[in-house]
Amino acid sequence: MTAAADSVERKPWRSGARATLTPELKTAAILLAPSILLLAVVIVFPIVQGFWFSLTNGSLLKPGKFIGLGNYVELLQSPAFYHSLRFSALFAVCNIVGSYLIGLGLALLMQRDMPGRGIYRVLLLLPWIVPSLVSIVAWRWMVMDDKALFNVVIKAFGGSPIFFLSESEWAIAVVIMIRIWRSVPFMMLSLLAALQTIDRSLYEAAAIDGATRWQSFWNVTLPQLKNISIVLCLLMTIWTVNDFDTPWLLAQGGPANATETLVILAYRSTFARNDVGMGAATSFITLFILMILVFFLLRLQRRSA
Amino acid sequence: MNKSTRFTRRATLGLAAAATALTIGMVPAYSQAVTLDFWDMAWAGADYVTTAEAQVAKFNAENPDIQVTYRNIPWSNWYETFVTALASGSAPDVSTGGGFQAVALYGQGEILPVDDVIAEIGDDFVPGSLDAMKYDGVSVAVPWATSTRVLFYRKDILEKAGVAVPTTFEEFRAAAKAVTGNGVYGLVSSGDAGGMHWIPYVTLANGGGLFNEDGTAGLTSEASMTGLGILAGIVADGSLNPASVGYVNNDAIGSFGRGEAAFLLSGALMPSQVPPEAAALIGVVPPLKGAHGEAETLHFVNNIMLYKQTEHPAEAKKFLKWWSDNALPLWSEGKVGNLPTRASVAADERFASNEFAQAALNEYEPIAKTLSEAKGGTFPALNAVDGDGFLVSLVQAIWQGQPLDAVVPTANDHLTELLAE
Amino acid sequence: MLQSTARNRWMWSGVTLLIVLLINLPIILMVLNSFQTTEQMLASRNIIPNVFSLDNFWALQKTPFFTYLRNSLITSFGATVLAVAAAILAGYALARYRNKLLESYAAALFGVQMFPIILALIPLFLLFKPMGLINTPFSAMIVYAVVNLPFITWMARSYFETIPRELEEAALIDGCGPIEVFFRIVLPLSGPGIVAVSIFAFLFSYNEFFVANVFLRTKEAMTLPVGLRMYMEDNITDWGGLMAAATVMLIPTLIMFAFAQKFITHGALTGGVKG
Repeated sequence: MTAAADSVERKPWRSGARATLTPELKTAAILLAPSILLLAVVIVFPIVQGFWFSLTNGSLLKPGKFIGLGNYVELLQSPAFYHSLRFSALFAVCNIVGSYLIGLGLALLMQRDMPGRGIYRVLLLLPWIVPSLVSIVAWRWMVMDDKALFNVVIKAFGGSPIFFLSESEWAIAVVIMIRIWRSVPFMMLSLLAALQTIDRSLYEAAAIDGATRWQSFWNVTLPQLKNISIVLCLLMTIWTVNDFDTPWLLAQGGPANATETLVILAYRSTFARNDVGMGAATSFITLFILMILVFFLLRLQRRSA
Repeated sequence: MNKSTRFTRRATLGLAAAATALTIGMVPAYSQAVTLDFWDMAWAGADYVTTAEAQVAKFNAENPDIQVTYRNIPWSNWYETFVTALASGSAPDVSTGGGFQAVALYGQGEILPVDDVIAEIGDDFVPGSLDAMKYDGVSVAVPWATSTRVLFYRKDILEKAGVAVPTTFEEFRAAAKAVTGNGVYGLVSSGDAGGMHWIPYVTLANGGGLFNEDGTAGLTSEASMTGLGILAGIVADGSLNPASVGYVNNDAIGSFGRGEAAFLLSGALMPSQVPPEAAALIGVVPPLKGAHGEAETLHFVNNIMLYKQTEHPAEAKKFLKWWSDNALPLWSEGKVGNLPTRASVAADERFASNEFAQAALNEYEPIAKTLSEAKGGTFPALNAVDGDGFLVSLVQAIWQGQPLDAVVPTANDHLTELLAE
Repeated sequence: MLQSTARNRWMWSGVTLLIVLLINLPIILMVLNSFQTTEQMLASRNIIPNVFSLDNFWALQKTPFFTYLRNSLITSFGATVLAVAAAILAGYALARYRNKLLESYAAALFGVQMFPIILALIPLFLLFKPMGLINTPFSAMIVYAVVNLPFITWMARSYFETIPRELEEAALIDGCGPIEVFFRIVLPLSGPGIVAVSIFAFLFSYNEFFVANVFLRTKEAMTLPVGLRMYMEDNITDWGGLMAAATVMLIPTLIMFAFAQKFITHGALTGGVKG
């Protein structure tokens, strides 16, 4: 029992900006200790070593020579890098827009009182819960040749079969569609939770003012969701850019490198080309780009908070 | 508890500890057997693993002073598996592996040459398999099995269309075109390693290859381009199933087994993977003659290799030789899909009665070359050539119908880069 | 609010049912295919199997499936306990206090979230190997706990921000130290939040492939995602076994989500994360 009890009468919880060893700081430090320990071991050590790798030209078995920023320079001059950068950006943007819109729609739907709502909520989580290998195998079956389900339906409507995994543009569309499909449940769940916390009285006030359904959605619901939406989009961007499974399991970044993302490029450099330096450099550049993005998006959120 | 009891207790414990230490020290040294780690690739299904484990148990029983631990390694991300193990000092003593694993790891300083083991085995290897093991004046591995690429055809489809079995590549292209229609395609392939094999096959079979004789990248040589032109022609004719770009090996085999295509390039024992009714309708195309008038085919010679990190090289070599000598059950009970490299195993009746094995052994193997044609031999860069994905991208681009002039030079440049590393 | 008639409600239910079925089409196909044997699947391309058999499910016993399942459950539970324990403490601190240490920690969390784990694999392998952690669940547990830490911490923080402070303030006045207040007062009330956070941590770990593939390589140590891959070898893919294994693999997570569905939507993600 500390003496703080005497002086704390109505003292606010938030201490000032001074980082002295106030009871709050000590308490905070204790509370953070387990997390910091885990992070130090698993993240800090590899980051440092990874950065060192990116400055050498070795393989995993033979440490190479120090070549300074050589890897980075080579990377920034290679067309493969810009191609995968463009595709990673396309992949991320499409996923965010698609999964947010569909997720929001489903969240609004799941707010309605209807029989079986609880079951539907769980079943709609399946695309997220099913392991990636299995869901991608299932999708491949649906699109892979002229006897696949999608083409059966297309032919029933009188069209000619589309070879989704053979043509680069269609393969890109399929991988984006699968990514959105896998992201929607998470967006739906998060937005649903956020929707539940919107103060009902705001809607009542809008109704009294004569607002239509659409107006109250636009003027009450959306602004209330703004903060969490920005955070969700941020998270989803990070997860999408770092997503190895979806493009790899579908077509290993093919056909003809059409769906190669930055992560796949890094993986190929490290394990297929034996060039750990390049792989590490690619990963660090990706990290750097993400950091810039996060920084700007957080600024946006802070300004509107 | 009083002081005297504690003292007594401590004394008793001390005596017990001393006695134990003495006893342990007295354990005779000869009961310490040498333990070896053997990593074996997933050459076939569950039956293979059971058979292999039984074989290892047999070795252990016959050799009480050498105890081998067996581990089966899946093919996916295999390079990652081995490299992480090597990098952390936990490599196995012996392992089997793909055609270029030994030479690639030798280039990284991780493999022990096995010339003495080969000499001990003597003259029992099928022709050509030993050459594929030689690099830098040593043999980097003992041949384990060959993965021969064979061109198959559907007897029912060719008969129905009244087309004769082709003997040259031009005839092959024409035959494929003649049978295409009504839901049947001339050729089915895949957009993965299985499909990628078409590139080294068609180039070396026409007198060229991935490499020129002087060792430089040879995809753009006249002979190679003639070969690749056949592939581009088949695509332009519409004889290739367009889904091939997105197919994996299994899909192509399934499609061929269902009679949806007339020709397929695959492993020698592929017919065992389709239903028996379909297998009865499959025939082997006699090796096609290339533009230069001769017939050549493609194979990979898989390895058994010995690691430098082993602490017991003599015992490891003994096991390695035993594994090679006693390979027959792996085929007869384990159902390995590749062909054996030990002539004594290949002479077994199981192969004598299998028409596809016979065709492969008698018609294809004698004229088979590896990925290194036209240079020959083996070298570390071949592993990256085989594994880094640029050939897969190239074959996907060709199957998509992209013009050769646009895609082959880029691939050739990439090949040059790999050679320079 | 609109009054919903019974007919309205059933209509919406019908529409939603259609949407659910459409969205889950690939999964329905997967489950249907688990009732076909591999030979049937290769021989024809029927979407609906003509012969329903439970062979694949019985055959699972012969494969290491139950070993994989056991490993997955152990690894995921362990990772969840680690992550949630650390995250609950940190999330509480972030929710209640403001100082330089916490600001930088919150920023660092973003960095961790963005970190491409592929970069860490080799250094971690080299770190864990001498400690004998490779091929034990502990290696994966530790990595999963860290990889999930940022998101779980944010969830925890959001949750704590919704708990009114009066109880804690009262306890402080009564003379309890802040840590004691946390353990005696706040934690017992945090049931829903802990459940929600744990389910997410469990799911992320249960489905993870990449890391498990590097650290858990022997049949005895493998988790389900890696084990599923084993059904897909180059030439002898056991499609039937794969689909059956995947169907069974879904069951624990479905049960968990069904149970915790109320907690998640109500408690944990509310309030938004404020900067």
